[in-house]
Amino acid sequence: MSAPESDLRAPGDDLRRIMADEVERLHAPLDLVDRVLRASRKKRTNRIRLTALAAAAAAAAAAAVAVVGVVTPLSLDLGPDGPATGGSRPAGRITVSGTPGPDVTAGTTPEPPAIDDSGPPPASEPGDLGDLGDGRAFRSIRVGYLPEGLLWSNWSLDRGEEYTTSWDYKGDGNGAYCVQIYVHEGRAVQEADERVREYREEGTGKETTVGDDRTGYLVRQDVGEDGGNGTPTLFLSLGEGRRVEVMLGPGYADDLGSPEAVDRELRRIAAGLSAVG
Amino acid sequence: MSDAEDDGFAAFVAARGTSLLRVAYLACGDEKEAEDLLQTALERTYQHWDRVRYDNPEPYVRRIIVNASISRARRRAIMRIIPMHTPPESAARETDVDLRHVLMDTLRALPPRQRAVVVLRYWEDLSETQTAEILGCSTGTVKSQASKALAKLRAAIGPEAAEGVIGNVRA
Repeated sequence: MSAPESDLRAPGDDLRRIMADEVERLHAPLDLVDRVLRASRKKRTNRIRLTALAAAAAAAAAAAVAVVGVVTPLSLDLGPDGPATGGSRPAGRITVSGTPGPDVTAGTTPEPPAIDDSGPPPASEPGDLGDLGDGRAFRSIRVGYLPEGLLWSNWSLDRGEEYTTSWDYKGDGNGAYCVQIYVHEGRAVQEADERVREYREEGTGKETTVGDDRTGYLVRQDVGEDGGNGTPTLFLSLGEGRRVEVMLGPGYADDLGSPEAVDRELRRIAAGLSAVG
Repeated sequence: MSDAEDDGFAAFVAARGTSLLRVAYLACGDEKEAEDLLQTALERTYQHWDRVRYDNPEPYVRRIIVNASISRARRRAIMRIIPMHTPPESAARETDVDLRHVLMDTLRALPPRQRAVVVLRYWEDLSETQTAEILGCSTGTVKSQASKALAKLRAAIGPEAAEGVIGNVRA
């Protein structure tokens, strides 16, 4: 591509000025903040809606007057068909007598119930999990294996149904983390499952075996967002209402060396995890 | 997030939104996509605002924009070359406008990483080291990508115009 030479004389011009001329007309939309906040809240509201739907379906199943078909327990694996939401799902049609309500039919996605559009309830300020000692036990999680040389970081975050802590080289929480474990429980499980599903759909990550009989999902999250190679992560189900993300700090992953070594360490940590309660 | 944090986020967007939109536009070459890139980057920033706000959030957002634009371009595999051009608000000499069209079209046609290097080095005025940090590559890669990008820009606009426009630009 070239232009006639006579049109190209622009003495004293420079690349930056040309780019400045090009973008001069652009201005951020006035409602940009509203758009961002709305979109962020909508995602959260969708999660709440889906969780409410799952709870309603579970309640309906428990109180069902007539259940046609067989109630099939679902496993909570992270298999290629996507993560299950937990509980039981009727194989047939459920009809709830009394108040009219939506029929829940297996294999279809019913419309979420209408809820008010006032957004999510205000989130309370996150706390922490207190003094965890060596960090091998926090809330309902027991950590059976951690790589040598790591100390509990003295840092944790408690958002109720989501909580997390980490380990680093110094144990002071001031440096980069080496290992972080993030736990999703109850309604927060949905968000973790959605992310795994998205990774699968994108073809990012892979299924992996954890220990003898568990299945997890290995993926590098946030690749490029911090200019690096992303965060090596293993998603694991620890029972019906609990998902765990085991993450390695990008710097620590570099210390471990090959991608195989990184995956191996993630699997070992995950295999040592157990839950109580 | 508390109201105070929301207010802080809103103030940041109000102050830096236009500047970030322009980076996004130069990185992707399309106005609509630039808005989408910016909104996506801000949504992700908002999710982590409790951590990001203590540092200067702008480099964080810029990083997401640039890397997301590269990721998207790679996913699509086909770069958008033909621009939807809107005439500038201010009057400009016709020669400048023509030159700008040629340059911007060439910029759009660059491979995404080369384009990102040009935007970060010559628009954001970042050093090779800073650019390398954002893109997650070595300074040598930045240097070579910049060199290739500038060569293409020079070839597109011809030697005489190149002398005036990017003659003093060193990769």
